[in-house]
Amino acid sequence: MIGSLATGIIIASLVVALIALITTIRNRPVGLVQLVGLGLLEVALLVQAVIAIVKLISGVEIGQTVVFLGYLASTVVIPIFGAYWGMIERTRWGSGVVAVACLALPALVGRLLQLWQVVG
Amino acid sequence: MDGTPKPSGANATERNPAPTTGPGATGVGTGPGRVLVAVYAFFSLAAGARAGVQLATRFAEAPIAYSLSAFAALVYIILTVALIRGARRTALVACLIELTGVLVVGTFSLFMPEAFPRATVWSTYGGGYLFIPLVLPVLGLYWLFRNRSAG
Repeated sequence: MIGSLATGIIIASLVVALIALITTIRNRPVGLVQLVGLGLLEVALLVQAVIAIVKLISGVEIGQTVVFLGYLASTVVIPIFGAYWGMIERTRWGSGVVAVACLALPALVGRLLQLWQVVG
Repeated sequence: MDGTPKPSGANATERNPAPTTGPGATGVGTGPGRVLVAVYAFFSLAAGARAGVQLATRFAEAPIAYSLSAFAALVYIILTVALIRGARRTALVACLIELTGVLVVGTFSLFMPEAFPRATVWSTYGGGYLFIPLVLPVLGLYWLFRNRSAG
């Protein structure tokens, strides 16, 4: 894990969540801005996952590896499902789904950072 | 195909002209329901993963608390699936169980902390999860009751 990358992901995710919330309030379905945002988040999350796995393989010891990998996999999957589930619903609530996904991500990344810092 | 001259179309107009026949049409899993599904799916994932690891590795430490974690995860999974499939009654029952669970476990965790030496999703009324576990069943029940006319 890289602290700065994780922090960047958390901030970016909150920004996309804010955009999605505003879009929900403005009664609009998921648009290009949200999709691009989710796409960029996905790329960053994939990079983060690869870095974390490489570090784990190369010998970094953390307390709860299984839990960590579970959360790591979840972070990579959430933007995809968020985009899919948000695009099905072509109303404001589709944007609401994207907002939920982008609020869930910071929680997960935060947990990842916690788990990573408990180095044994 | 050849035995039935008038399939679903006749039935629909007979009962109610509103497009509410299929579970996916305007059921509980669409509109605002999609947001509920998203939240429940996330909690299924979070609670399920947590419970799975707890049960697999440290069950003996706190069997009751960890069984409750697994039970909570199961309720979230059932709710997610029920909402997606438009199974309103199943969702309603699961929502009531969820609300009861949060209230009972939350109360026990405050007044009899020794009963739950390890935290579950529902401990302190879901305080470890920004009280979302407490708000969620209320929103769910509100949505399901508001949606009653459609079902």
